[in-house]
Amino acid sequence: MKKNLKVIGKPIPKHDARSRITGEAVYGHDIVLPHMLHGVILRTEHPSAIIESIDVSAAKKLPGVVCVITADDVDVNNISYKRDHPILKKNEVNCIRDEIAAVAAETKEIARQALKLIKVKYKIRKGIYDPHEALKKDAPQINKFIGGKFSNKNIAETFHYEHGNLAEEKKKSAVTITRRFTLPRVTHACMATSNITAHYTKTDKKLLLYSSTQVPFLYQRDMAHALKMNPSDIRIIQPVIGGGFGSKLDMYPFEPICALLSIKTGRPVQILYSREEEFIASPTRQPMIIDLTVGADAKGNFTFREINIIKDNGAYTSWGATTPFVIMQAFSSLYKIPACCFDAMAVYTNNVFAGSFRGYGNPQATFALERMIDLLADELGMGKAEIRLLNANEKGEVTGQGLHYETCGHKECLETVIAKSHFKKKKSPEKSGRYKRGIGLASMLHVGGGAKIYRSDGCGTTVKIDPYGFCTVITGSTEIGQGSETVLAMMAAEELGIDLNKIKIINTDTDVKPWDVGVHASRTSFVAGNSLLGAIKILKEKLNKKAAQLLNTNDSYFDYENGNIYLQNTNGGEPANAKKNSVLKKNSEIPDSSFVKLDKVVREMHFGEPNELAIASYFYEPSSKFQDKTFKGNVSGTYAFASQSIEVEVDTYTGNVKVLDIYVAQDVGKVLNPLLLDGQIEGGILQGVGYALSEELLVKEGRILNPNFHNYKMLTAADIPNIHFYPVETNDKQGPYGAKGVGEAPLIPTAAAIANAVCNALAIELLDLPVTPEKILKALAEKEKLKKQTV
Amino acid sequence: MDFNIITPVTVKELLGTMKKFQKKKFRFGAGCTDLLMELKRNPEENLTVINLSRVKDPLFTGIKKSAAGFRFGAMLTAHKIMVNEEIRNNFKVLHEAAESLASTQIRQVATVGGNVCTASPSGDMACALVALEADCEILGITGKKGMVPITGFFTGVRKTVLKKNELLCGIFVPAKNKKSKNIYSGFVKIGTRQSMECSVVSLAYHIQADAGGKIIHAGVAIGSSAPTIRFAEDAAHYLVGKKFENISVNERKEFAARVLTYATPIDDLRATAWYRKEVLFNISKAIFENDAKNSR
Repeated sequence: MKKNLKVIGKPIPKHDARSRITGEAVYGHDIVLPHMLHGVILRTEHPSAIIESIDVSAAKKLPGVVCVITADDVDVNNISYKRDHPILKKNEVNCIRDEIAAVAAETKEIARQALKLIKVKYKIRKGIYDPHEALKKDAPQINKFIGGKFSNKNIAETFHYEHGNLAEEKKKSAVTITRRFTLPRVTHACMATSNITAHYTKTDKKLLLYSSTQVPFLYQRDMAHALKMNPSDIRIIQPVIGGGFGSKLDMYPFEPICALLSIKTGRPVQILYSREEEFIASPTRQPMIIDLTVGADAKGNFTFREINIIKDNGAYTSWGATTPFVIMQAFSSLYKIPACCFDAMAVYTNNVFAGSFRGYGNPQATFALERMIDLLADELGMGKAEIRLLNANEKGEVTGQGLHYETCGHKECLETVIAKSHFKKKKSPEKSGRYKRGIGLASMLHVGGGAKIYRSDGCGTTVKIDPYGFCTVITGSTEIGQGSETVLAMMAAEELGIDLNKIKIINTDTDVKPWDVGVHASRTSFVAGNSLLGAIKILKEKLNKKAAQLLNTNDSYFDYENGNIYLQNTNGGEPANAKKNSVLKKNSEIPDSSFVKLDKVVREMHFGEPNELAIASYFYEPSSKFQDKTFKGNVSGTYAFASQSIEVEVDTYTGNVKVLDIYVAQDVGKVLNPLLLDGQIEGGILQGVGYALSEELLVKEGRILNPNFHNYKMLTAADIPNIHFYPVETNDKQGPYGAKGVGEAPLIPTAAAIANAVCNALAIELLDLPVTPEKILKALAEKEKLKKQTV
Repeated sequence: MDFNIITPVTVKELLGTMKKFQKKKFRFGAGCTDLLMELKRNPEENLTVINLSRVKDPLFTGIKKSAAGFRFGAMLTAHKIMVNEEIRNNFKVLHEAAESLASTQIRQVATVGGNVCTASPSGDMACALVALEADCEILGITGKKGMVPITGFFTGVRKTVLKKNELLCGIFVPAKNKKSKNIYSGFVKIGTRQSMECSVVSLAYHIQADAGGKIIHAGVAIGSSAPTIRFAEDAAHYLVGKKFENISVNERKEFAARVLTYATPIDDLRATAWYRKEVLFNISKAIFENDAKNSR
């Protein structure tokens, strides 16, 4: 790899920025195919009911309606991570999202009109909306498709993890604290609502799907399983994706439903969610109750963590049920922890089901863990910075869970934000006045080099150079707005020494691109980057051979710059190796020179003997290991760390929290593109501020109460606080140019740091998110009441 | 959401259209920022929207200052209200209310008349206009105009005194008292977001004092605290005769308590009644504190 980087590390704008801003980009919503029909879904009116009858006869008769399907019309398999989710519901409904019937019609309006003509008779049941209720012995079984595997019929999944000697560490503890933390449902609210266009061609029995999936190859397999088809007969094309954030990790019923409508009609069918449908029927972050007990010795060294988590699984199981993989990492390995005992279970309820969401359980875990560190510090009479620095992770550490920190910027991140925010000066808030300021700290640990959960955590790349010197990168990875296309193009430009505008990225078609596990776990720059570098290395070996031939040299060291291939000067000094060249010169057609144009080399390869393509493929599999049955093992190629110090001002008259300044230091390994990195940091932080202060999908007895931006308080550009970002470069030798994954980290510690800051400002204890103005005023009123009682 | 749309461009055409539709279902659309959301929520069949946005007539779009006060057309956008220097200098409460409304984009189309006619208890400009004791100028189908005090304009949640053959064409804000030398005017909007926010509770005040600082007239209105925006007359009256700068802590609390007597808030998704009352009390007394304006 090159040492003097010319492209990597430069603030290069996203290459698709213009097309997205001008409206030129083609999103799923923009797709129009000849003879296309419009699909809509009839969802249940009740979150828990027996379906007594479904009558679609009137809907079928409506002019313009081409097809109406119910569960009786299709032969399909269940979907979801646990295969516990029927695509269309037949005898009962268990969740307000439940799909009962679907219509394909000539227009959206006709399709919607047809929905109103479908008559469903329900026998309403009393649903179960509290996981604790669901765990009671006499509770009915909510999901009938799995069961018997666990101690209780309503448990969907369990996790147990432990390391160290818990009893001994408890004995060592000078302080032990127990608290219960409650985390809300929040939703991605992607700018583009869920969408799919399916096109089944009856002549060749092939299915083409225009889908916004984040995991095209797993999706292809899941779709084939659902529809009882051969995966290779299904081609996935990803249009421009208007936001993912994890929401498109699972396949949801609307997708096979759309395919089924196309299969039944032989015409293309499109399903687009309305914004309301998006709020109701797309996944959420896992709501959970975390019971946490922690200890520390008299000096402040952490001794143990004991964790018990109940996750509200909703009616069906998504990938979200596996978030404890990540949650347990935070508890077992963020800061040095001699002993840890972790239990988590996902419990079925009649609520809406959660999915995967940027951070994958980590924001919840980090909130509980970092709030608890502040409580420990208070109890010990220690500084909140000191206790964290004392326990921070270090380079070379192998954690109790077996995570190997070959590089680790944890301490440096902490030290940076503590210094930059003047944390120690600001930690004592003013005693009186309407506005009270406070400051809070939090750190996070997240996978930074993929996560080996699936059978492979790899990514394939094919690189080719055409006779004009342009390079096409065909990558398995997916762009969801994070900027991977730009970063991959920068890597190719760097390595091949050609202009960025000569790099083309092809990444949207499963029939073309090599396999990749998907865009998640902050893995794309790391895994797809390494994969691309591997492919370029192979390609360069071919190019070098031809270049050597053309330059009449036996040397095999070349530099790629300015569209040329230079014979490398291994002695220092002049780049040209004229002397050597002149000695070796035999063919008079080749000019006496130390370099040759890249496109010329490619042409000579193509058209000269032995007629070879300038193309190479590589599959990169990270060095990470599967965890064993006890969840131990080095699951990622590298690990990312970050710390945030956040200053807030609380209005004690209204309970409003104004986030003033956010100081972020993040171990990114190496900055590949500072502009894109800033984007990830700022976007993540605002998502974190929303999680901390304002966002909550309100659910009552299984129904969503605020399915709109009016009452779902997602923050806007006007709410962005001052963000001071300090990248920490630890140059991980596993990463491309030393880089680590950065995508999820920025939002993970934000809610914890904000809650710590608010508690610091007001001397109150907050254990729930979001920290709403109302919760703050209530806490202040309680405090006042207690004060009066004690006086 | 499906409706017919008719776009008159003169007042004459507008009145003609109204006449034609007296026996049919129609709604007026000004900026349509509320109307479209409402129709999306509750679609009405065979509905015609009479689009007012192209009516080019000073009656609807003009601004006129006279000795008696300030008259502006109902079709003035929130943006135009916000950038108007006269309004900023003389009626800060209205300027701040316009500025706090939704977002830059929505302020370009949302109108003051629409904000008033929507008759939402959380209307921002409407709340400011109640504090300013504005009058609503109503145009009848015959072309005859009448005036109704804004305090009597609202009859319930999303209900006004307007009849089917009438519409709001302008707003008149009375000029300040001649002796008024110091004006304490402002709009306090409480919500979660800095933009695209609907107030959880709001307070509008426009207090006039003489050269010596003695309050000679006060207007106080509260939003999102009752089925309609309320003019807190008793609280406003309580201030008259007091010196603004010398209002004691106990007097502030008394004032806030009087404001609160007008509040009959409800629990809803955005806040509980308890929170609304608590905050309304706090922000009312804060009018007289130095840092009141730092509130979001």
